Amino acid sequence: MDFDVINTTTKDELLTAIEDHQDTNFRIGAGYTDLIMNLRFQPTEGMTLINIAQMKDPSFISIEEQQDHIVLGTLVTASNIVNSPLIKLEFPVLHEAALSVASTQIRNSATVGGNICNASPSADMAGALVALKAVCCVLNSKGEERIEPLASFIVGVGKTSLDKNEVLKSISIPRNSGDQLKSGFEKVGTRNSMEISIVSLAYHFQLDESGKVVDAGVSCGAVAPTIPFAESACDFMVGKDLDGLSETDKEEFAENVLKYATPISDIRASEWYRKEVLFNISQAIFD
Amino acid sequence: MKIVFKINGKQVSMEVKPSLLLIDLIRDVLKLKGTKPGCLEGECGACSVIVDGEAINSCMYLAINVNGKEVSTIEGLTGTENPLHKVQDKMLEHGAVQCGFCTSGIVMTTKAYSDKCLEEGITPTREEVKKSLEGNLCRCTGYAKIIDAAEAVYKK
Amino acid sequence: MKKNLKIIGKSHKKLDGKERVSGKAVYGHDIELPNMLHGAILRTKYPCANLISIDTSRAEALGGVECVITAKDIEVSNISFKRDHPVLKNGTVNCNRDEIAAVAAVTKEIANKAIRLIDVKYEVKEGVYDPIEALKEDAPRINEFGKGEEKFGNKNIAETFHYDHGDMEEQKAKSHVIVKKTYELPRVTHACMATSNITAEYSEFDGRLTLWSSTQVPFLYQRDIAHALKMDPSKIRIIQPIIGGGFGSKLDMHPFEPICALLSMKSKKPVQILFSREEEFVLSPTRQPMIITLTTGADEKGKFTFREVDIIKDNGAYTSWGATTPFVMMQTFSSLYQIPACSFDSKAVYTNNPFAGSFRGYGNPQATFALETNIDLMAEELGMSKAEIRLKNANFKGEVTGQGLHFKTCGAIPALEKVLEKSNYDQRATERKEGRYLRGVGLGSMLHVGGGAKIYRSDGCGTTLKLDDYGYLTIITGSNEIGQGSETVLAMIAMEELGIDEDKIKVINTDTDVKPWDVGVHASRTSFVAGNSLLGAIKLIKEKLSKKASELLEIESDSWTYDNGVMLANEQEIKIDKVAREIHFGSPHELCSVTYFYEPPSSFQDKEFKGDVSGNYAFASQAIEVEVDTVTGNIAVLGVHVSQDVGRVLNPVGLQGQMEGGVATGVGYALTEEMIYEEGILKNPSFHGYKILTTTDMPPVHFYPIETYDEAGPYGSKGAGEAPLIPTAAAIANAVSDAIGVRFNSLPITPEKILRALSEKKEKELVS
Ligand SMILES: Cc1cc2nc3c(=O)[nH]c(=O)nc-3n(C[C@H](O)[C@H](O)[C@H](O)COP(=O)(O)OP(=O)(O)OC[C@H]3O[C@@H](n4cnc5c(N)ncnc54)[C@H](O)[C@@H]3O)c2cc1C
Ligand code: FES
Ligand code: FES
Repeated sequence: MDFDVINTTTKDELLTAIEDHQDTNFRIGAGYTDLIMNLRFQPTEGMTLINIAQMKDPSFISIEEQQDHIVLGTLVTASNIVNSPLIKLEFPVLHEAALSVASTQIRNSATVGGNICNASPSADMAGALVALKAVCCVLNSKGEERIEPLASFIVGVGKTSLDKNEVLKSISIPRNSGDQLKSGFEKVGTRNSMEISIVSLAYHFQLDESGKVVDAGVSCGAVAPTIPFAESACDFMVGKDLDGLSETDKEEFAENVLKYATPISDIRASEWYRKEVLFNISQAIFD
Repeated sequence: MKIVFKINGKQVSMEVKPSLLLIDLIRDVLKLKGTKPGCLEGECGACSVIVDGEAINSCMYLAINVNGKEVSTIEGLTGTENPLHKVQDKMLEHGAVQCGFCTSGIVMTTKAYSDKCLEEGITPTREEVKKSLEGNLCRCTGYAKIIDAAEAVYKK
Repeated sequence: MKKNLKIIGKSHKKLDGKERVSGKAVYGHDIELPNMLHGAILRTKYPCANLISIDTSRAEALGGVECVITAKDIEVSNISFKRDHPVLKNGTVNCNRDEIAAVAAVTKEIANKAIRLIDVKYEVKEGVYDPIEALKEDAPRINEFGKGEEKFGNKNIAETFHYDHGDMEEQKAKSHVIVKKTYELPRVTHACMATSNITAEYSEFDGRLTLWSSTQVPFLYQRDIAHALKMDPSKIRIIQPIIGGGFGSKLDMHPFEPICALLSMKSKKPVQILFSREEEFVLSPTRQPMIITLTTGADEKGKFTFREVDIIKDNGAYTSWGATTPFVMMQTFSSLYQIPACSFDSKAVYTNNPFAGSFRGYGNPQATFALETNIDLMAEELGMSKAEIRLKNANFKGEVTGQGLHFKTCGAIPALEKVLEKSNYDQRATERKEGRYLRGVGLGSMLHVGGGAKIYRSDGCGTTLKLDDYGYLTIITGSNEIGQGSETVLAMIAMEELGIDEDKIKVINTDTDVKPWDVGVHASRTSFVAGNSLLGAIKLIKEKLSKKASELLEIESDSWTYDNGVMLANEQEIKIDKVAREIHFGSPHELCSVTYFYEPPSSFQDKEFKGDVSGNYAFASQAIEVEVDTVTGNIAVLGVHVSQDVGRVLNPVGLQGQMEGGVATGVGYALTEEMIYEEGILKNPSFHGYKILTTTDMPPVHFYPIETYDEAGPYGSKGAGEAPLIPTAAAIANAVSDAIGVRFNSLPITPEKILRALSEKKEKELVS
């Protein structure tokens, strides 16, 4: 590896660096847990890395509690998420997803923004955030901001809607409106640790006092080029009483989730297994 | 690029190549060979060191990002009064070391976690101890003795 | 034999543990010599091709490159067990590991860059990746040095073994059940935490070569390197830095080792080669993949009658020590449980796959998996308990098996009974299974050599003892420490026998210029052979000491005790260092030093592979409980009960560590590990794709040693290192079958295989 680095510690430095490098080959580096492997297998001569790991600007690094949203700076790490009591309480799905990422060491470095911008279908935190209907706040080199739902921000394997002069600043998650929650993250892999999801299912159901679903968010990971939000499965659940779900309801829910799965076969699992297991876990979350 | 940081308690300032990895800074530049390269892909934890109190994989970390921070490696645990740190003592006592190639990383991860537990006043369960070491592969021991040793560290 | 001991039998900390736990231990990766260059190797892009041209000019022109070598620049002999493996390839490449050129440069980066600048033109050929295809008449000849045609009547056969005993026809006639099954075993690898490495330094002045190598058989290695480089073995000095894991991977010498020496010879500077993790996966030897067809019979009472075994092993492109694994496998088939008749045939077949090597267990995990599954199936057909059928046929003390193995002590039945009791087997095996999580319990037993194995001309080990003027003891042993704790056991023996404190004992074992000969670490032999060798040396030094002490104290005694630095007899005492000094400074003016060579009493097998090949034999049983998640197909191993006849426990904590480590590898073999090859190319060369267990996957291991006090072993002990992983996969497969009612004939049993089996089972149930 052989590249040049521009270190940025403030928003202005970052924007200037991006602006200055519009005509060159540059990458943004946050926690480096994806990037280093990427860079190792490609020629890096003449490349510039804009390092945001030492950024001091709070909007990039903190978890901020607002009235209607919780805002995660792009540099919030998986460990920050795991250790946040607020997130554990309000968004168990995100807590579990972050806790399922690799290892303590990786979680201490891995940022939520990197997880999203790397745009892998098996990104766990991104999966939970899609289910939570999170929205990305994107900044361009002129300092202008735009907002885009995460579900459409990730457009394909390794691809986001970011322009060359844009950077992800933060992610906001709408706060819960229901009285109770059924929220969790199912990760399928061969081992209990150090697994990249073979399939994952993120779900976040908000219930009213009586246990009826008032809002639903479901996404599935590693079964499509993006991380699809399973809209029809959510629609199916709204209005249902979770305690009173019949076996056919569960099956119908699972079938709805499965509609979003167009997996491939690779060395980790076959298309058949991915579909079968997605169906099974979708059904089983209600048991 | 110039960086200023503390390594095992000592302030240093040096010029480094921007693309240098922390593991190479530690092993090749500072010649601290106790930090081990097991995979260089973030999978094995043999290269674990502590940066500002947190265990990280030094093979997945740019050297320039330790600027202004405090780094400790296995060499930093050897004190003047006690030749071995409590974590190291327990590892030895419980037979947690066979070939020892994974050991530095395991000691550093355990050290970081035990400091955290101490600070927060908690005694982790065996399951939590296992979870804290999930990123440290060991091919020799089957982990049981490592977990025993780590648990003994947390016991008050 | 059951004498009271002070040190032996009590847990002892690892001798050099402090160095290892403080990061001070020097591994191969940590060596830096003045002016050292870094070597890198160019490997083939295609597993099967003709080499049309190799152009190294651009690499040579790169600044910082000191030398480049290809086959045409070197004068070497073929290497490997069958000498069918060229060090650098010329003309053709036969598998994805093949070395084409090597570079030495001032930095690793430059060396790697230079490799990429070497231009090779290939004519790609269609490879043969299936041993059954390779056996066909019209298959191409894969290894041009193979002697298959002359020796075995097929050009692609590298080695065959045939063994038999008993009256097969008679036993078949007696059989009430006969089960025939074919099993397929995958390629797995050691995945040592430290990657392979070597540092070489050649002196042009005296023609001597020093290698810092992680070999586990330094004296055989010295001979192999000498053969490859056409040198005098005595001009080669092997120094063994601390090894980051062995498990059998360092038994064969591999091309990168003579290549590193050649780079040093050519550049006249020290050269180091360190493998990346990816190279380690691609290049290090594997466990033999094989297809085992096993037919077994039992009479109506469940007594075993016969076994017929036919094995096809994928040898890969070249032949390693791994080709001799049938030695071990045939023992399991001929002698694990009482068996009146057995016939065994195996072929190792050349393919364009990477060649296999030796791996802890040496063929035995594969054999045991097949055998223990067949035993379960026979029990099912007979409507008999799986525990009962095993007990009924178990090996016993005094048994001489059809192959001639003599079980002078035997813990087979106690081990089996122990795990049955501790796992609560009878109750578990009859529990009803329902719901999402299904539990099952399975059994597996094993037999392995416990006192070395005579496969080389000598299976011995030398020891030199030096007691200095101050009462400090140096043990110079031929044996090697690869993390398994043998050094510690040796120090414990010396403490026990001579009453010398641990901090006055040093073990020297890393330098062939210094240490006496030993065949190397394998076959669970080190504690046994090196321990006996040390005991022999101790006997000699005691003779010296007691003679002098008797003289000094003017007493007659042949029963001295040694305790706490003091020798005692007839209620008189004298300090051991004083005796040593008197030997040195008084008459006869000798050093208090002795040398002893121990050769185990085992015999060579005859041409029919019959004979008592080991000093003693280890027996073990495991009962394993699993839980299958029918939603995901994941299998959780809940608990592993291991009982093993270890003769006698020497160092409990060390032994327990061997058990847990072995079981971890066994569980990986059963459930998670597999090298995925497609058309000769490895698809998962990383810890990410090749899944060894993590802390959160490791089940609790409950270990119950059985002590049978075998006369042959030091203090009655037997070798124990390989056994714990041998029956694990078998027991897990049997447990899974108990849980879900489906049998698996191949490993690993992945979640995907489970879900497929469950869905097929469901379909079948719907149909009927
Ligand atoms: C051993 C190992 C195990 C892993 N296990 C898991 C796992 O279980 N689950 C999982 O989801 N992931 C896993 N990962 C992947 C990785 O750790 C995560 O995706 C992580 O969140 C990436 O964050 P990062 O900060 O390290 O990103 P980086 O590596 O710094 O960056 C990743 C990508 O995002 C871009 N980027 C980063 N920040 C921004 C920004 N603000 N604006 C624009 N672009 C940006 C970078 O240019 C780069 O392309 C694993 C990785 C390793 C090495
Ligand atoms: S060397 Fe860094 S995780 Fe393996
Ligand atoms: S002790 Fe060898 S890898 Fe852990």
